[in-house]
Amino acid sequence: MSSSPSTEPLTGSRPEPSGEPLLRVVDVVKNFNVGVGTVCRAVDGVSFEIRAGETVGLVGESGCGKSTLARVLTRLTPATSGQVIFEGVDLTGLHGEALRQQRKQLQMIFQDPFASLDPRMTVGDIIAEPLTNFKVVRGKEKDARVQELLRVVGLNPYFNNRYPHEFSGGQRQRIGIARALALNPRLIICDEPVSALDVSIQAQIINLLEDLQAEFNLTYLFIAHDLSVVRHISQRVLVMYLGKIVEIAPSDDLYSTQFHPYTKALLSAVPVPDPRVESQRRLVELTGEIPSPLHPPSGCRFHTRCPIAQVPGICSDEEPALEEKAAGHLAACHFATQVGTALG
Amino acid sequence: MTGSMNQPVLEVKGLSTSFFTDDGEVKAVRDVSFDLAAGETLGIVGESGCGKSVTALSILGLVPRPGRVVGGEILFKGRDLLSIDREELRQIRGRDIAMIFQDPLSSLNPVHRIGAQVEEAMRAHDKIASADVRPRGLDLLRQVHVPDASRRVRNYPHQFSGGMRQRVMIAMGLSNRPEILIADEPTTALDVTVQAQILQLLRDLNRDLGTSIILITHNLGVVAGLCSRVVVMYAGEIVEQGTTEQIFDAPQHPYTWALLRSLPRVDADRHERLRSIEGLPPDLIAPPTGCKFNPRCPFRLERCFSEAPELKPVGDGQVAACWVTMKRAYAEMGAASLLDTRAGAASGVRPPLLPLPLAITRGPQPAGPEPLERE
Repeated sequence: MSSSPSTEPLTGSRPEPSGEPLLRVVDVVKNFNVGVGTVCRAVDGVSFEIRAGETVGLVGESGCGKSTLARVLTRLTPATSGQVIFEGVDLTGLHGEALRQQRKQLQMIFQDPFASLDPRMTVGDIIAEPLTNFKVVRGKEKDARVQELLRVVGLNPYFNNRYPHEFSGGQRQRIGIARALALNPRLIICDEPVSALDVSIQAQIINLLEDLQAEFNLTYLFIAHDLSVVRHISQRVLVMYLGKIVEIAPSDDLYSTQFHPYTKALLSAVPVPDPRVESQRRLVELTGEIPSPLHPPSGCRFHTRCPIAQVPGICSDEEPALEEKAAGHLAACHFATQVGTALG
Repeated sequence: MTGSMNQPVLEVKGLSTSFFTDDGEVKAVRDVSFDLAAGETLGIVGESGCGKSVTALSILGLVPRPGRVVGGEILFKGRDLLSIDREELRQIRGRDIAMIFQDPLSSLNPVHRIGAQVEEAMRAHDKIASADVRPRGLDLLRQVHVPDASRRVRNYPHQFSGGMRQRVMIAMGLSNRPEILIADEPTTALDVTVQAQILQLLRDLNRDLGTSIILITHNLGVVAGLCSRVVVMYAGEIVEQGTTEQIFDAPQHPYTWALLRSLPRVDADRHERLRSIEGLPPDLIAPPTGCKFNPRCPFRLERCFSEAPELKPVGDGQVAACWVTMKRAYAEMGAASLLDTRAGAASGVRPPLLPLPLAITRGPQPAGPEPLERE
């Protein structure tokens, strides 16, 4: 197809992200007040960086705070404390028009392609809405831009007068992507963009996101619970548990060596479409349920379910810091170096 | 995966189910046949709308209106479930054949206690002596690893997490020691660590109690871990059937092959572009003529547009409905086998690309977006 940005499939090594961090997240906290005197610590002191051109994956189980973090980064909800520095500007301190202008650079793709498009707007209007809001282009130029965007995401440009219900899930996700691209953003936060899609359509959307990244020099924060997808698309991966980052690593390193028992458990549970691999699976089983963020456990938050925790002892008393355990590989565990041997 | 594999407990023969909508007849399931041996774990895989769930609902006589089974036989130990009366079917359902649904929250009654709901199926069928019902209910919840079960039987569904609710559903399904357990996407709504636990549970049940399991899922990884045999469905039909090893190592239908290649793998050690299946599944009111996969198939022949292929033997017990089959496609491509679903590559070693003389490009094109890849 003519608009497909890269003829050459991405093989071997991925393009190296370079330079200054595009986004710096410093000790971000997001609390929700739930009833008198009770605070839900959805995001509890998260720090990381994303460099321009990079894809960073964010994984964790339901309720770990990954979607809340996405909403804080885009200022859809204000942070309780901490800084979100985007291209040198702290978004948490911005208001009104200044914030609105910054948001041009920072777009989002949502999980549910059925709920994230207004059923009463035509596809053309949906994609043009950001253009209209920011008065970027008008009139004929706007129509041309909309058609161009439709073409870029692999849809027929003459579909602009149709309504969302006329499209399948995968096509709707393409519409959502076109809308996110409309303002030429630098960073796109993708919150579970493929988890609602069928397997054969998932691959189409993942390839599209990779092509667009190469063509428009995009940076992604890619949130997902499917670790296979995250490994495929990300250069670095953040693992969250109960509001905190427990491990950060380049994705290939993370899949070969884990310094946090939670990451180890997560990876050991991912189904692999190969009966031989499956028959040799060694599941690191977690006992118990994920604790409530209203009353997080003392010390290391994972100690209640950790197979190697020293309880009572350092794990229930002292919170481990997120420290570098190998080059570019950070983990928050008192026994980081023993994870590999203790859990096989 | 143990047990005697001789006499099938369930034989589905030529099952067809349609939904009669205002827009026309939706042929959701067409001429589906498979056997389930005692103690076997069978996976039915396919994407949304391929008819896998409707097949399960047809077995239990639970197809919602305006749907109806329009043909075929479903033999449970030789008795046709489609011709017995409703009362007899009700007796079998939940006692001999039980089903676990995808969404445990909407399948549990929010105003009854967990314990009562687990006991209900036992009381309804009199298979378990009434004095044993309560202790067995508790026992079942312990078996499915509900912690602190004796206290939690008094809880309501909203007090349970998703994984715990799914365990309750499994306990309910097992309460009458059914011979067949049909699990429809039992882990789709769950986190990966919980999913692994539920699958382990199903594996143990199959091994320890000899329960036959039909697992319906879109997740090929889950099938690889649990099932001994696999049925692949596309657009309401079975396109391929074989042992798990056959399906994953030597798929013969291009759809199966393409599905396996489109999956990113967590154990991949190289980054390669995923090979997606272009286009969309067909509209089941007016499916394409000939092979229903023809608009998306990279290996199609002239014949694929006019004649629908039937399931034909392609290996030891393996069947596929394809005029080409991958054996021939590999030969034409000069590839020895399906190198590219092996560990070590997201989608693996890249075979020389078709189209070859074998493939033609005319014929009906898929509706929807143009293919994105220029390959």
